[in-house]
Parts: sequence; C-alpha cells; structure tokens
Amino acid sequence: MDVPGIRQPIVIVLLLIAFFSAISGKPLDGLLMLLVAAGLAWEAARVSSREAAAAPPGGPGSLPQPGLSAAVSAEPAAAPSAQVSRPLRGWQTATATAALVAGGVVYAVIVGSFTRFSWPATMAVVGLATLVVVIGWQGPLHPRPDPGPLPMPGTALWGGVLLAGGLWELAALAQQPSLDDTSYAHPTLSALTDPVLTGHFGRSLALAVWLLIGGYLVRR
Amino acid sequence: MSGHGITVAGYLALVAAGVVLEVAATRTKAPVPSLSDVLTRIMRTRTGRVGVLVAWAWLGLHFFSQ
Repeated sequence: MDVPGIRQPIVIVLLLIAFFSAISGKPLDGLLMLLVAAGLAWEAARVSSREAAAAPPGGPGSLPQPGLSAAVSAEPAAAPSAQVSRPLRGWQTATATAALVAGGVVYAVIVGSFTRFSWPATMAVVGLATLVVVIGWQGPLHPRPDPGPLPMPGTALWGGVLLAGGLWELAALAQQPSLDDTSYAHPTLSALTDPVLTGHFGRSLALAVWLLIGGYLVRR
Repeated sequence: MSGHGITVAGYLALVAAGVVLEVAATRTKAPVPSLSDVLTRIMRTRTGRVGVLVAWAWLGLHFFSQ
C-alpha cells in the first residue's frame, strides 16, 4: 500500500520523536507525536488522492507522483479560521486580551502548584497543548501578509543556530551515564532547568513563558 | 575550564548567536530575517505550522508531563 503522506519530512521527524520519546520513558509524548504524524500523513494522502481523482485522464497530472503531490498539496495553509476572521473592536480586543492574560496567570499558578510529572500536571499540559495544536491545525487566526522570500544567507544562519543547538544538546545527552541519569559534566537543558522547576514559583514562571510562546505562535 | 563550564558556555554562545542575529535583523540592513519573519514564513504551510506548534507542545510535555 502506498501512503504518500508518510514520506513528508515533518511526518518522518515526528515519527522519530515519537519513537525516541517512547523508548526514553515518555510514552505519552510519543503517543501524541504519533497521533499528529498520523493526522498529517492522513491529510496529505487525502489531498493527494483528491488531486489524482480531479486530474484529467491521460494528462500529465495523471502520472502518479505521490511524494511530490503530497508535499505540494499539503503546503498551502488553511484559510484563517472563519469564526474569528471578523475584526474585533477596540474594547472587545482589550477585554479578550485581559481575559486571556488572567486565564494564563491562573493556569500558570494552579498548574505550577502541581508536582512535576504528576498526573494533574500531565493532564493540564497535555490538554492545553492539544487544544493549541488543534486550533493551529485550522490555519492562522488572522490573515498575515506574506513576508516574501527570505534572504538565504540569514535564513541559513538561523537554521545553523537551531541545528547547532540540537547537536549540542544531543552531545550532552549522549555523554550521560544513561538516558535517565544526568551528567554534571555534560548537562542537558533539562538537567540545567531542574533546579528552577523544583519549586512552585519556578514552575509557574516557566509555564507562563511557555504560554506566552504558545500564544505568540498560534497567532502567527 | 571544566566540562560543565564548557557545556554551559556552549548553550550561552548559542543564545548569544540568536540575539546577535535578531539584532542584526532588526537594527541593521544586513540580509538577515528576524525570527518573527522566519516563523511567519515557516508557518504559512500547514505542515510547517503544525510542526512549529508541536515543537512548542513537546517542550511543555517534556518538562512537565509524565
């Protein structure tokens, strides 16, 4: 059976994350990554088959190009969500922003009071993360102008910093005695943040920052 | 410098590199896009959008969930 969506790079990356999360004692992380990978693969396959059905028989588009088709057809993002596309008035925007900020603070304080890796903390974080990913799946909340093609050298520099960060973290992880035992000489980011996240204030602060980043991203 | 110091210095250097790139993008005419532009560009596609949001979600799961 040919499933074109599975060949998309993002799907492969998510499947790898799912696998490594599962074997490193994070089965729930792995399951969620697996579900998102399956969703993206399914959607790419659905769009691909719809395009194949719409292509004229015998025409150039009728040749099977599953990988290319899936990659291209899944690219255009969905239109901005219809229910929020109408611009809000000034006072409505201010009220909505104040409510979101207040909700975020309450969330950070309450969830930060839960013990790390406990079921209440897990449910709170998984629930919110799922909600944000589902909202993001629909498309941007507001239409944004296309910034146009990015300058390649500068974009490559950003990619290089991200790649270097991933490799540096991976090198530290590889030098731990085991996946579960941190190394003082080669600390991962998780090991470095552990002291901060042991207290209620540190957890709430970290959750607030995580929420701010999530709110920023979902509005992109 | 100890191994611990070198590892931490590496993380700090990467953060500094990010700050330098952002400053170059927003305060100079260097051909460097801001992080915001990079994210906006990546998130114009559904796969890119979901990928970035999943990366954010993974961070929360990694640091707080079982």
